[in-house]
Amino acid sequence: MSPTPKRPSESSLRRTNWVLAGITCGFLALAAVLLATPWKPATQAKIPLVDPSFLEQTAWRKSYADLAREKADLSDFQCYVCHEKKNPPPLRYDDQHVLIVPDEHSDIKMGHGTHNRNNLCYNCHNEGNLLTFSTRDGNELQFAESSRLCGSCHGPNFRDWEAGVHGRMNGYWNHQLGEFKRLDCVNCHNPHAPRIPTRKPAPPPHPLRQPVLLEPQAPQATTP
Amino acid sequence: MIHATRDYLTFLWRCARIAFVGDWRYYTWMGGLTVFSLLGLHAYCNQFVHGLIVTGMSDEVSWGVYIANFTFLVGVAAAAVMMVIPVYIYDNEELHDLVIFGELLAVAAIIMCLAFVTVDLGRPDRFWHLIPGIGQLNFPRSMLSWDVIVLNGYLLLNIHICGYLLYCRYQGRKPSKWFYIPFVFIAIVWAVSIHTVTAFLYVGLGGRPFWNSSIVGPRFLASAFSAGPAIIILALQVIRRVTRYHITDKALLTLRSIVQVSMIINVFLLINEIFKEFYSGNLHVASSKYLFLGLDGHHALVPWIWTAIVFNLISMFLLILPLSRSLRWLDVACVLCIVGIWIEKGMGLVIPGFIPTPLGALIEYTPSMNETLVCLGIWAFGLLCYTIFLRMSVPILQGTLSKANEHLPEPEAGVEHSPVPAPH
Amino acid sequence: MGRRNFLRSSAAFAGLGALAASLSPLREIGDYSSVDEFMQKYYKEMTPDDMSKVIKRIENEVQRQYGIRPHVRDLKPMDGVEFVYCLNLTRCIGCRKCVHACVAENNQSRNPEIQYIRVLKLPHGSMDIEKADHLYNPEAVPQKGFFYMPVQCQQCHNPPCVKVCPVHATWQEKDGITVIDYDWCIGCRYCEAACPYWARRFNFTKPEIPKERLNPNMAYLGNRPRKQGVMEKCHFCIQRTRVGRYPACLEVCPVGARKFGNILDPDSEVSYILREKRIFIQLKEEMGTNPRFFYYFEK
Repeated sequence: MSPTPKRPSESSLRRTNWVLAGITCGFLALAAVLLATPWKPATQAKIPLVDPSFLEQTAWRKSYADLAREKADLSDFQCYVCHEKKNPPPLRYDDQHVLIVPDEHSDIKMGHGTHNRNNLCYNCHNEGNLLTFSTRDGNELQFAESSRLCGSCHGPNFRDWEAGVHGRMNGYWNHQLGEFKRLDCVNCHNPHAPRIPTRKPAPPPHPLRQPVLLEPQAPQATTP
Repeated sequence: MIHATRDYLTFLWRCARIAFVGDWRYYTWMGGLTVFSLLGLHAYCNQFVHGLIVTGMSDEVSWGVYIANFTFLVGVAAAAVMMVIPVYIYDNEELHDLVIFGELLAVAAIIMCLAFVTVDLGRPDRFWHLIPGIGQLNFPRSMLSWDVIVLNGYLLLNIHICGYLLYCRYQGRKPSKWFYIPFVFIAIVWAVSIHTVTAFLYVGLGGRPFWNSSIVGPRFLASAFSAGPAIIILALQVIRRVTRYHITDKALLTLRSIVQVSMIINVFLLINEIFKEFYSGNLHVASSKYLFLGLDGHHALVPWIWTAIVFNLISMFLLILPLSRSLRWLDVACVLCIVGIWIEKGMGLVIPGFIPTPLGALIEYTPSMNETLVCLGIWAFGLLCYTIFLRMSVPILQGTLSKANEHLPEPEAGVEHSPVPAPH
Repeated sequence: MGRRNFLRSSAAFAGLGALAASLSPLREIGDYSSVDEFMQKYYKEMTPDDMSKVIKRIENEVQRQYGIRPHVRDLKPMDGVEFVYCLNLTRCIGCRKCVHACVAENNQSRNPEIQYIRVLKLPHGSMDIEKADHLYNPEAVPQKGFFYMPVQCQQCHNPPCVKVCPVHATWQEKDGITVIDYDWCIGCRYCEAACPYWARRFNFTKPEIPKERLNPNMAYLGNRPRKQGVMEKCHFCIQRTRVGRYPACLEVCPVGARKFGNILDPDSEVSYILREKRIFIQLKEEMGTNPRFFYYFEK
């Protein structure tokens, strides 16, 4: 360490002045730049609002009981306007022993059970009184009691349904605090073709950052 | 009492004043750092107003470069202890006068750590919820609450030790051992704890198999004890060049052997980790696969991690070879080591933990411009702090800034008072 | 000497100017936080009086922002009730109606999008979540060869998110619901990193909810609109379930795959399921989180 203070050279002092002046200008320029370029949030692609039909809570089918409650047109259920009580309609089959649905009932597609096992209208409809159902063990049930009819074959599902475990529930889980509604089988299942149809899914998520698109699904193997 | 207070305030005032006085190199350096700090502050104000949407983070990758830098800097702070141990436990003479530079580095690093954690918060205005008493610090259950305590405690410890020693030197009296030696030993244990606790922050998350591994803690320490002293080696050489402070080559070589051993352990632990991940090949390997090899065509981190590994290996070999006894090669080894560990322990540790997500989604992360500016700003601010600390402490240690020359006119740029001999 | 002092001062002043300029974005701060909100006490330390003031503040804020007077309540857990959710994977068709019903019920941000439920499409025969497709969007679901698994907050008995929160901003209530005090959360996202089910969501910016889709029936710990910078997640529709109603995701499910109820009541649907059904799965059971959310198959 030097015993006497070392004086910086003249040129070094001059350079200090220049640097200080430069810093002043630099700061002012920085201030100007920061004020002049306000930051704009990157405009993100607008995500469209979801179609309200996907928020729909009501069942997609109406049961006879629903229609009766709503006092809707029940003429479809007036079988004896066309049929005769004494003369139950005969069933006709093609050479593959598949039931031929008459043109008057062309809205009905038979698809209850596999291998055409359920190929007989009178498995459910009452041959003797088309305005009611009849179970295989001969019990007569009203149209509004359709779920019990289903239960006469689908025992385990019926048991689950009674417990609220199969099928849809609405309203209050706590029955003391409010009503709850258990839907009927036919609110979800078409009795003539009970498999629930496929549907368009609601829109997929929009991740905040560039999503990594998964590889396109390999097309289902199709037989030529 | 009043006298002592007045003396202390004079000391602080003179320290503050000297921070604004220097030669043209000092002003250039400080001016540049200030510009970057302000750019960072501006970027942070944007983030404060608009939210973390201005970063590259997402629900999928919910921590990014902020936490990565935080993790690295905790290691740097912890590494100050690697100078303290030889000095106070093994009475290493060469490092004795240098240990304070390590401790000051720790202070600067902790300041940066706290800044990085703060900018990562979604609601920085609610920081007071963390303060015990008025807030609700979830201690001891949350590892983050431990981190809050150990980081702030470490900051206070180091401020106390440095401040006390410097003030004593300024006053020209011998420091009382009772006033700092116990704190030095607490700080040694504490330094290990800050890094262990930060490792536990990750290790404790059972839902993230990439982090949920007991080797993370030891790896943190090994990498910290190589990158930290490496930074100190470089800093000491800068100090030696720009001031007339006496630093021996032998001191640097002592630090070299610390970096050397830590680097070997670090590489060894890395090999352990890679073996365990890939040889067993269970489903949890996805994150490591993403990091080292890329996953399903996504490999943003692959070039980075291999750069880190190559740098670490070159650095390790340089440090093992006698070649690095030459300072030029030692510098190369240190730079490689710092960069390598910064990548490996920052991005290389934090990001893959999130990829894929616990539900198997693959969303990559790239830091945004704004986020990068905030990081640069914090680094610039940290360097600014460290430079100011050195600017204050070097003249005090040299004796050119002392109570004895209080009556003399304040020094002008580049001119320093001759030291008044301190009583021994 | 004098010149240099002048230059030094001018540099310092220019620096202060630049500092002020760098703070300029704060001009757009808007309604970031009111003083009342900033000073607000922790949920568990509020007296009923404090709470009614807070509720008034929230109602006023919502009205100012959306033009609709909401009905905000602080609903407490019921005695003798512990909620459990069961989801029948055999039934789920992956239609994602639950996702959107949840968004509508719980006032999540539409832009950027926040959703509590993520439906995974998985190939038959595997529970390896890393094979999941999150973004499937075919013409019709279900697709042959796949099953669908909706994932939301599992309301764990041993929630990792609660453990890690540094400020107690999230906790488990006695009916089993893990809730968040949105006015206490500091937004560190540690819970998001801790959750093994990726159930937590962060408000990266101010949430955007169209006025006409705001649900005015709100709860403090439930679906009241959130602020920028805080976490949120599924809370089993607290505003519905704590008054005895079913959650929104359950009511909208077209196939009745979702079942919810009080596990302490032996006659509830969920008690029946856990008693009668053979296979049920707690997702990532090995984590030891012990979810209150059960997946099951039948037949």
